[in-house]
Amino acid sequence: MSLTAAGLRQGGVEAARRLAGPRRAVVTVAGAALAVAGANTPWATFAFGYPGKMSLAGFPGGARAYVLVLVVPALAVLTRWPGRRAAGLAGSLGVLTLAVGNLVALARQGGGLGAVAYGAWLATAGGVLLLVGAMAAPDDEAPTLAERTLAPVVEAALVAVSLAVVLALVWYGLGVEESSRFASFAATVAFWASALAGVGVIGWLQALYPRHRTVTLAASALAAAAFPFTQGGEAQWIRVFTSIAIFATAAIGLNVVVGLAGLLDLGYIAFFGVGAYVAALVSGAGTTTSHVVLPYGVAIVLGAVVASIFGVVIGAPTLRLRGDYLAIVTLAFGEIFRIAVNNWNSVTRGPNGISRIPDLGLGHFNFGQPHRMLGVQLPGFANYYFLALVVMAFVILAFTRLNDSRIGRAWVAIREDEVAAAAMGVNTVRLKLLAFAIGAFLAGAAGTVDAHFGRQISPESYSFLQSVTLLAAVVLGGMGTVPGALIGSTLLLLIPEKLRAFQDPRLLIFGLALVLMMRLRPEGFAPSRRRQEELHTEGVGADALSAPPGSGR
Amino acid sequence: MLRCHRSSGRLGIAVLVAAVALSGCGSNKNETQKGADGSGPEKVVKIGVIAPLSGPLTALGVGIRNGADLAVRQANEAQKVKGWRVVLDAEDDTGVPDVGANAATKLSDDKAIVGVVGTLNSSVAEKVAPILNNNHIVMISPSNTNPSLTQGTDPDHKARPFDYYFRVATTDAIQGPFAANFAYNDAKKRNVVVIDDKKTYGQGLALAFKAQFEKNGGRVPTVETVEPDDKDFSAVLSRVKRFNPDMIYFGGEYPAASLLTSQADQQGLKVPLMGGDGIYDPTYISVAKQAAEGDYATSVGAPTDQLPTAKAFVEAYAAAKYADPYSAYGAYAFDAANVIINALAQVLPDQKSITDDLRPKIRQAVQDGSIEGVTGKVSFDQFGDTTTRILTVYQVQNGAWKPLKTEEFK
Amino acid sequence: MSDLVQQLVNGTVLGATFGLIAIGYTMVYGIIELINFAHGEIFMIGSYAGLALYTYVLPGSWTTNPWVTLPLVLVAAMAASAGVAVLAERLAYRPLRNAPRLAPLITAIGVSISLQEAVRLFYPGGKNVAAFPRIISSGGFSVGGVTVPWTSVFAVVAAVVTTVALDRFVTGTRLGKAMRATSQDRETAMLMGIDTDQVIVLAFALGGALAGVAGVIQGIRFISVDFHIGFIAGIKAFTAAVLGGIGNIRGAFVGGLVIGLVEALATEYLPQGAAWKDVWAFVVLILVLTFRPEGLFGEEVAVRA
Repeated sequence: MSLTAAGLRQGGVEAARRLAGPRRAVVTVAGAALAVAGANTPWATFAFGYPGKMSLAGFPGGARAYVLVLVVPALAVLTRWPGRRAAGLAGSLGVLTLAVGNLVALARQGGGLGAVAYGAWLATAGGVLLLVGAMAAPDDEAPTLAERTLAPVVEAALVAVSLAVVLALVWYGLGVEESSRFASFAATVAFWASALAGVGVIGWLQALYPRHRTVTLAASALAAAAFPFTQGGEAQWIRVFTSIAIFATAAIGLNVVVGLAGLLDLGYIAFFGVGAYVAALVSGAGTTTSHVVLPYGVAIVLGAVVASIFGVVIGAPTLRLRGDYLAIVTLAFGEIFRIAVNNWNSVTRGPNGISRIPDLGLGHFNFGQPHRMLGVQLPGFANYYFLALVVMAFVILAFTRLNDSRIGRAWVAIREDEVAAAAMGVNTVRLKLLAFAIGAFLAGAAGTVDAHFGRQISPESYSFLQSVTLLAAVVLGGMGTVPGALIGSTLLLLIPEKLRAFQDPRLLIFGLALVLMMRLRPEGFAPSRRRQEELHTEGVGADALSAPPGSGR
Repeated sequence: MLRCHRSSGRLGIAVLVAAVALSGCGSNKNETQKGADGSGPEKVVKIGVIAPLSGPLTALGVGIRNGADLAVRQANEAQKVKGWRVVLDAEDDTGVPDVGANAATKLSDDKAIVGVVGTLNSSVAEKVAPILNNNHIVMISPSNTNPSLTQGTDPDHKARPFDYYFRVATTDAIQGPFAANFAYNDAKKRNVVVIDDKKTYGQGLALAFKAQFEKNGGRVPTVETVEPDDKDFSAVLSRVKRFNPDMIYFGGEYPAASLLTSQADQQGLKVPLMGGDGIYDPTYISVAKQAAEGDYATSVGAPTDQLPTAKAFVEAYAAAKYADPYSAYGAYAFDAANVIINALAQVLPDQKSITDDLRPKIRQAVQDGSIEGVTGKVSFDQFGDTTTRILTVYQVQNGAWKPLKTEEFK
Repeated sequence: MSDLVQQLVNGTVLGATFGLIAIGYTMVYGIIELINFAHGEIFMIGSYAGLALYTYVLPGSWTTNPWVTLPLVLVAAMAASAGVAVLAERLAYRPLRNAPRLAPLITAIGVSISLQEAVRLFYPGGKNVAAFPRIISSGGFSVGGVTVPWTSVFAVVAAVVTTVALDRFVTGTRLGKAMRATSQDRETAMLMGIDTDQVIVLAFALGGALAGVAGVIQGIRFISVDFHIGFIAGIKAFTAAVLGGIGNIRGAFVGGLVIGLVEALATEYLPQGAAWKDVWAFVVLILVLTFRPEGLFGEEVAVRA
């Protein structure tokens, strides 16, 4: 048995497999019993403010409740379902992770291992046994849920239910205040999702969504619109989600440039900034330099158009450049924009930026004021949230139509192999410029919303780091897909707010996350099928599609 | 396919374990939790802090938080607000306006918050002030210098934009002319080159200085702008040398200022550099060493060893054993927090809970009240600006800042 | 007239530092076509390594003698920078050797951010500006109204010596030849029996070492360092590399000088020049890539599939 990681794992599995049949079941059940017992007993020897009242018995508070929840999939190995081994592994690893993680956290906060009570050790032991039981299970068949079809109504209902569950989880997760308990919660969700994926539920849903497009879209839109009503009048998360919606809109615009057309843009935030400044300048803001005041409907179009002009101006000199050079030139343009805006006191008010941007108004409806809607008092931010959703819906529509159109296919052709595309008669110059222009247009529109939502804009918001974050949202979420951009934006903007305890190492974690994701899952969380296949067919007949550009000489 | 899942799975698990483990040590950084266990029978009122607790400005933000924390601790020990326990809730704005706005929204949702000490940057304040103002939460900044936050955007028709916004720092409109008067009348400089770092604070200060200095009859042959992160000022200094200035006025902070003064020296431009409280920091001297000798800085308030309140603050801060020094704005934050505590002591004692009608009363108590602070007497005028206009000019002598002249600016 | 000469001197000194960093970019890009975004941070780490050696390792009695301190600080900086560069290559870049262009680029950005933050968080006092020791005295000499500080002399001498040494290595030795061969055509070099992995590691190490020297120069000239100096320096150095012709070591150094001169002269002669100083490098970059993408000394860039 070799000492590499793979060798050890193999050895461990073989050793575990010596437990056959009934002894395996006993181990699993024993593990479950220990875990449940552990969840109901104290994890801390005294109360020192760790969330979940860990010093109480008979009361599975805090992370202990999550342990109970994870025991369920861990027990899957006792069934006959296909995919039970993967589910069992996920569940048992989840139990073990929660137990060990909280144990370490308790020890650190409580001042040593003496602060950790027997409940945590029980849970850890339970997790180990569960893990052994799961590893001992023989390999089983791949799940076949995805091939099943039920009556369309039933399927549609399942789609709606699944999205409602997501909304509920988001609502619950936001309510978890303490960072440590939130981390445990996030881990629980991750392991449960992994278990469901093992059993085939996720794959089934992934097959269902495209089959019932309208229901999926309607349910998602409903869930998104329902969100502010779940907040009980509190503004904090509505504000964060409005930022996410605006950011995601820009990310989808970037998806057009990077995801569809394959043009690496590292200065994309500049287009967003152009839209924001244009809107600010025509808004009649308190500290503005221009005396032009235009209604918002005009401002959003104007901002988007000016941004797209910038897009063409920036795109034009870059037409002949390949990937890396294009990236650097766009970075340069982005920085030039930031420095110019910072210096141009007479128009953009330099480093002070433009502030006291007024709230939007539609007749008597002032966006900044709280309103009662459907019987619930919604804070002012909710209005901007809905506006952002509307703009985002428009952008998503634009993206999907483009994706499915001739232009979209031409872009993909350019992305995959520009020379071949040109040989096929694709007008690469026009299409690249179009990509820049449209991407910039969408970003500019998002920027105008941001100016009114934030009531203030200044050059420091349009830095290289912001461009990187946008790109990261697109790449980490899954390039070339709308859900990918949404997931990426949500993760990147929500996690730092949720884990405010982690603010100091936040950027370090971000940097490391970028490196890790590229190493392990470069296609992102929710990639298009194509991308996933591209990036994971290693060495098996690697064709021109998956070879890196320029590798042939 | 499965192989790929496994390897990412293993690493993902390691990451999750680490995340859960590490986040545990985060939960005692935030001292408040809604319905925290272990609170006594007293009622709880909260003061928030919004400052950069991470990122490049951490040193200043942490100083602000610690200063406010010291005030809160002292208030609880002395039971200043009868029947109530004061709790500090510090939120990080990382120096970015958007993050600050999220922090302000978060604090506003908590009904126990009645006042906030912050922010550090004026740009963040622009996004935070409307939110706190709408929620009737008093906001006192220890360091914002942009006049428009209190006096509005039209200098000829001053109008207060935020009733709930106050500040204990003086605006550039005061510190700049004060420096100009000193430079002209006391230091007898006549030909001063002005450099600023393009940031709100630096630029405002530099331009205010220039206006007053020229009004006094001095000459400002040129105004140059530099990047605050830059290290090489040789080009701009060579250019400036040609005007034969007898002093350089720099609107900005000590990292750039210390380099400016030492490079000026290297280039043979051996004239003093003068700046605002942004350069009044020991690191300025430790970096510039010899070149700093003779340089000037202005700062709000009288020197700390002249006021008993200041001495008490310095001693109490050292005794509390904070991990970081109070840096430039810790003392101001201390004063700001005490202003809020003072107002609470007047309004809260007989109250059973924090109701909405109490908030305007707290604001009024802040507006009308005054305390003896570290920087002198702290009280506010009709715009929310501090009425203290005592400023001190310091000079680097023998490797340390020594107070040269303290005076009230009229 | 002396103003012009003074600015020329300023620009040359500035450009020498850019040139050193640019060489690292150009070597790496020449061989594996990766813009090592983290190279600016490697330069920054060189500065901090020198500072750390001086502050924590060297005994007090040694620090008074610049002839002893300076070489030791330089060695420490070179070793640290080269080490970090090699680590980055091994851990982050090598696994992605064959991935589509986007993945290594994002990884490089991730490494850059991580290194910056790691220094800020873990170096004692990293959050603030750190004072670099004054190893070289701050005086200088004057000739006809033009002041030249000793630190500038050191900067130019160090830069030129290191570049010439590298150039000798690359043109004169077998390993150097192997590097040039790999840079021309990696697959054929492999066929010729060259261990391209080793060559790549060498490129990273040498580029890193030069960046380390630049880091010490930075520290000595500006007697302060902070974790942020890598970013802007990196972009300008990359511009210099492109200007000189990517893959061309001498070109990179010349490109650096050009950028330095442009900055100094712009500051002098353009109104508000100092405020727009950083922009000039970017403008040069865009102009070069638009009109002459192969740079001053590079070969014609073939359109690749």
